Amino acid sequence: MTGTFVEVPSPSAAGTEAAPAARRSAWSRVRRIAPPYLYLAPAVALLVLWTYQPLAQTAYLSVHSWNLVPTSPMREVGFANYVRLLTTPELGESVLRTFVVIAGMLPFTVLIPTVVGLLTRHVRGRAAAVYRGLVFAPMLVAPVAGAAVWQWLLDPTAGVVNRLLGTELNWINTTGTAQLVIIVITGWHLVGFAALVVSAGLTGINPDYAAAAQVDGASRGQITRWVTLPLLSPTLAFLVLMTVLLSAQWTFPLIDTLTQGGPVGSTTNVYYLLWEYGFRSHDAGLAAAAGIVFFLGFIVLAALLASLADRLSHHDD
Amino acid sequence: MTTERSANDEPVGARSPAQRALGHSALGLLGLFCVFPIYWLYATSLRAPGDVYQLSVLPWPLSTGNYADALGKIDLAGMLLNTAIVAVLSALGQLLIALLAAYAFAAWSFPFQRLLHLMFVGTWLVPFQATMLPNYVLLARLGLLETLAGVIIPTLCSALGVLLLREHLKNFPKELLDAARMDGRSSWSSLWTVVVPSLRPVLAALGILLVITAWNEYFWPAMVLQRSNAVVQLGLRSFLGTEGNEWGPLMATAGLTCLPVFALYLVLQRHIVNAFVRSGLK
Repeated sequence: MTGTFVEVPSPSAAGTEAAPAARRSAWSRVRRIAPPYLYLAPAVALLVLWTYQPLAQTAYLSVHSWNLVPTSPMREVGFANYVRLLTTPELGESVLRTFVVIAGMLPFTVLIPTVVGLLTRHVRGRAAAVYRGLVFAPMLVAPVAGAAVWQWLLDPTAGVVNRLLGTELNWINTTGTAQLVIIVITGWHLVGFAALVVSAGLTGINPDYAAAAQVDGASRGQITRWVTLPLLSPTLAFLVLMTVLLSAQWTFPLIDTLTQGGPVGSTTNVYYLLWEYGFRSHDAGLAAAAGIVFFLGFIVLAALLASLADRLSHHDD
Repeated sequence: MTTERSANDEPVGARSPAQRALGHSALGLLGLFCVFPIYWLYATSLRAPGDVYQLSVLPWPLSTGNYADALGKIDLAGMLLNTAIVAVLSALGQLLIALLAAYAFAAWSFPFQRLLHLMFVGTWLVPFQATMLPNYVLLARLGLLETLAGVIIPTLCSALGVLLLREHLKNFPKELLDAARMDGRSSWSSLWTVVVPSLRPVLAALGILLVITAWNEYFWPAMVLQRSNAVVQLGLRSFLGTEGNEWGPLMATAGLTCLPVFALYLVLQRHIVNAFVRSGLK
């Protein structure tokens, strides 16, 4: 009576049980079918409560006007929030800035890790462990602590960077450099992780392919270009997807602590804009509309990237 | 270590010393870029309060003045304790809930399995900021704003944890589960006596990863704890905002904020790297 653990037979088989024991068999059927759902229940309940129900709520809020005060009424306004959102000049600029951030992150999450990974395939033993520890360390630094130390490094008068360069630039509060600073600090946080992912990907490639190509007379450069990189492409596609989906999110703590979106809005990306709508202007409808637009945008982007990755990837089957 | 390597070690083409040097210098440069800010953080924090602006690479004379200063200015000890409570409870909760869910996926086949799995994968596409407003309102209704429980509860379902554990359990030999059933064990006792012991390294790695993530979390605590600075990340931020930064105490605070994570990492280095890389490859 422990239920069919491991494999549940098809429901039709269970349904053809003899009629006299109908009530008992219904009960045993429940006992047989219920366990996986019971084990899943806490996780699914939390997921619905804190992710999917709020998402639906956001969709609902996006067609209403509300200022977040519990006692004030919610007015239905149709698509006015979306119209308002899509006609604000800030939106286009912040989307553009989000793409700049993503493009700026790719060298740190894809290019540098790949080059380093290829150059260091044969570094082994203790040296490799030491390097791994070094490049991984920033990942462990809390974003706010990272913001603090970089603010100190970039301080206009006393910071190491300016004193080494002999400049007195106010990196964080200058329109031209603020975005660069955010990108470099985020890149610093992630480059070690990406390098590890790439080297894990390289380790997973069967060396027989390269050996076969070498027997056929391919040079090392040709092997890298035509054998190693294609086999590495699923890993690289994963890194690109992650960068696209998470870059703007990773920059948020840095923007919030270092620039607050400034100077003159030069570091306001879509996430920061959303945050400002909701928690600075208390414009729940507008923030919700923005949230829904970004969610839909993400789905489209992710689907595009996934299909692109599928077409470009060469799987090691 | 040595320049001589066996043929097995170098499957494709022999590497000249120059190429090996190129590899080391690439890694060395990257390592320097990664680690210098961290080194400078601790170097500054250990300078005597009057020497903070010095550029010497080694801080000398060493001083704990900045730490004393920081500890006197904000309730750092209380914040560290609060953060530790949040990190540990959040990680334990996520681990338990993810384990149960992953077990369900691995041990049974059942209707709607794919759909339920997609629900977990789908969270990747929901930007946190798209759900923050309703979550904030819900927390307010539950009376959990400005409480540590409000920080912990919404984090308890980790989709990443579920997917990672499911991936590991997929390779778990079903024969062992069958054998346990033959012995007359319930699925609940099989989970704890058969599955969990074999998953122990993965659970440890994931647990550490979750502790670190929760410890470093900024966005959610900042929303829930707007009036107080009960966790270290927020305390650090309140330090950052002040005009004319006092770099010494600030670096000491930042250093203390990171110290527990670094300590965890140093002790359990291999596990953590594996956890990060594997979760990354998901």
